[in-house]
Amino acid sequence: MTATAAPIPFPRLLAVETRKLFDTRSGKIMTAVLVALTVAVIAARGLVAGPDYQLLVGTAGVGYGTLLPVLGIFTVTGEWSHRTALTTFALEPRRWRVIAAKCVPPLVTAVLAALFAMLVAVPVTAVVAGVEGVAPTWDVDVAALLGWTASCVLGVASGLALGLLLLNAPAAIVISLSATIVWSGVRLLGDLGRTLAEWLDLNTAAMPLMAGDLTGADAVRLAVAAAFWIVVPAVAGTVRVTRKEVT
Amino acid sequence: MIELSNLTKAYKDVKALDDVSFTVAAGSVTGFLGPNGAGKSTALRILVGLARATSGSATVLGRPYAELHNPAAQVGTLLDAGAQHPGRTGREVLTLGALTLGLPKQRVDEILDLVGLTSKESRRTLGGYSLGMRQRLGIGHALLGSPRVLILDEPANGLDPQGIQWMRGLLRGLAGAGCAVLLSSHLLHEVEQVADHIVLIARGRVLAKGTPAELSQGRTLEQTFLDLTSHADRSPA
Repeated sequence: MTATAAPIPFPRLLAVETRKLFDTRSGKIMTAVLVALTVAVIAARGLVAGPDYQLLVGTAGVGYGTLLPVLGIFTVTGEWSHRTALTTFALEPRRWRVIAAKCVPPLVTAVLAALFAMLVAVPVTAVVAGVEGVAPTWDVDVAALLGWTASCVLGVASGLALGLLLLNAPAAIVISLSATIVWSGVRLLGDLGRTLAEWLDLNTAAMPLMAGDLTGADAVRLAVAAAFWIVVPAVAGTVRVTRKEVT
Repeated sequence: MIELSNLTKAYKDVKALDDVSFTVAAGSVTGFLGPNGAGKSTALRILVGLARATSGSATVLGRPYAELHNPAAQVGTLLDAGAQHPGRTGREVLTLGALTLGLPKQRVDEILDLVGLTSKESRRTLGGYSLGMRQRLGIGHALLGSPRVLILDEPANGLDPQGIQWMRGLLRGLAGAGCAVLLSSHLLHEVEQVADHIVLIARGRVLAKGTPAELSQGRTLEQTFLDLTSHADRSPA
């Protein structure tokens, strides 16, 4: 019955951190909301816009754009809101391993959420076509679907990075949500505003990716925006967490 | 098994710990005693690698805690029984610990038995737990890995008299089996009956250490405690 004094294998940390995402009421509610919203949004759009498969899949992105970053934020800030970091980092003092284990499940969830939307859109397209007596449109732009999935992953990653940097869920959520509004304002500021948004706003920079026609220049702009919103805050946040005094 | 040497923790204008040194040997229970704000929790958090010392060192089993692999398999800790997610069940908290440590799930039931939480109580979320139940759960969590060293911060807080008596028996039994136990408290009567060594701390400084008999020097231990700590309280910051 004795536990060994060998390093904790990473898959074990991963299993524990995945479990923590779903073992509380708030985690279960968040998952249920994500599932219900996906179905509701796709069904509603189907009724209004008609049986166009690709259009319906993309509709889920409206909710995902907000919910997935928030999921990322909650994942990395939860231990600080409830002070369970005391226990977690006493069990694994190499904190960067815990952070890595925390980031994987939400990133996987983003891919699963995208796949789920693709799945739900199938019966909705078929049923709407049947009910309305219209021919369904099954045309699929594979590059666009892949790009859209990747943008979901980027959304979660930006939430994780912001959450790690601030370690405060309300602040990170406010910034994450208001960023969209602020950038739409910036884009109105003439050429300079548009250029700024193209290079620094993750959503604007990810648009060519979602459209499935990412050029080399687009990729550079996306990389800059991702560095600004994901890489830099994630690295700074990880350094902060590893050095922070846990109280 | 536990060694603090010349541990100092300085903030901008105040020393939370000032040259704190003491050891805890295998097979003994050491009471870390001092008024609220004396620096006990700060010292224990540095010991467990959750905070950094300004100078000095703290080791467990001869190494800094943070360098131990799977540390909870050797060193059990309870730093704050209240620091729990209110939406998680008691059983789930122990399960997460057992999974991290690499222990089978039956260990969870053994621990629940050991700390006197019923199966029904274990399935309730912590939001509905009394502080006493949280302490039992926290002590159980610390014991998951059958550790050789036990570090408990204010474990008697919120326990009822039966609970305190139960904890005394538990800790004496563990020390008897060779475990090194360090527990902090701000209440003398919680530690004087269980500890065979006492380290008295106030305002970040160790005022006295030794066996209860050595510290009381013919008077009651309480009188010694009050004399030493009241002097520390009156001294300028």
